Amino acid sequence: MANGMSKKPSGGKSLWVILAALVVANLLVGLFLAPRHVGLHNPPLLQLPNFLASIGVPGEWLPSHITFTWLVMTILVIFGWAVGRNLRAVPNPVQNFAEVVIEGFYALLDQMIGRQGRAFLPLVGTAGLFILTSNLLANIPGFQPPTANWNTTIALALTVFIAYNYFGIRKHGLRNYLKHFCGPIWWLAPLMFPIEFIGHLARPVSLSIRLFGNIFGEESVVTILLGLSWLVMPYLIWLGVMLPLSLFTAVVQTFVFIMLTMVYIAGAVEEGHGEEHH
Amino acid sequence: MPDDEPSVLRQLARLSTIGISLVAATAIGLLIGLGLDRLFGTKPWLTMLFALFGIAAGFLNLFRDVGLIRKS
Repeated sequence: MANGMSKKPSGGKSLWVILAALVVANLLVGLFLAPRHVGLHNPPLLQLPNFLASIGVPGEWLPSHITFTWLVMTILVIFGWAVGRNLRAVPNPVQNFAEVVIEGFYALLDQMIGRQGRAFLPLVGTAGLFILTSNLLANIPGFQPPTANWNTTIALALTVFIAYNYFGIRKHGLRNYLKHFCGPIWWLAPLMFPIEFIGHLARPVSLSIRLFGNIFGEESVVTILLGLSWLVMPYLIWLGVMLPLSLFTAVVQTFVFIMLTMVYIAGAVEEGHGEEHH
Repeated sequence: MPDDEPSVLRQLARLSTIGISLVAATAIGLLIGLGLDRLFGTKPWLTMLFALFGIAAGFLNLFRDVGLIRKS
């Protein structure tokens, strides 16, 4: 560190002085002035009273992932309603934005699934927009992303799992679809079927755990970091490091989720055609 | 799957499945074996069998993903 400092040009040196002064100021504030008890579990901004207690939801307030799921749904429904209310041949800015989004989904679907891909826009587009909106919600202080809870992501992943199996069965019929599970050689079928079956069951688990783990981990780091905010540094670290990182995570995890959804649908819809052997 | 040029993000999506799906397949095989053993009362055997199935499924997924990436 001392070497790095001595090699810096003089313009960089003042930055180090400022940083050192900040660290010293933080330590002084932290040692003498700071509150000793830091509350990590502040309530989120949006809370609804628990009116579902009669069907067995515990607690005084509704769980926050449910509340924020409804918030995301409201945002998306209002957006969709606002766009669909008056469609024009010459679009206004909102419709323009929506068209760009839909065209992006169409391009992905065409690329991943092929000619029949556009039929799956309702599933893929809904999942993608829901996940993207709720991931981005994490970056507003006081809001909690619903995807940071495993219940939400396992629901999404099970929807995808049931949907792609349904699409495969609808395309090829139950018999042909199951026949593909058994592998090419008939006397290996008792061995191949459980292996393929377990492999398919692993898909929703890995889909949901990846999304939940990434968002929950990032959320936890931010919570702990901002819980230390009586030091001044954590704000700077949050603004400089965590905020760009979590914006990146939000987009990448959404992309990974819908990408894998499309890969699974493509596999289920196409794999009866004889080749599939990559 | 029609493959044009493979994009980086597409490969990232595929690659990021490898680690979790290997573990998930093994765990699911083990859980199925444990459940069936409890159902039928054949204590260690089905657990072992299905754990092996799960490991095989995990490696099958892994080889498939890696093979696809190398080819496309």
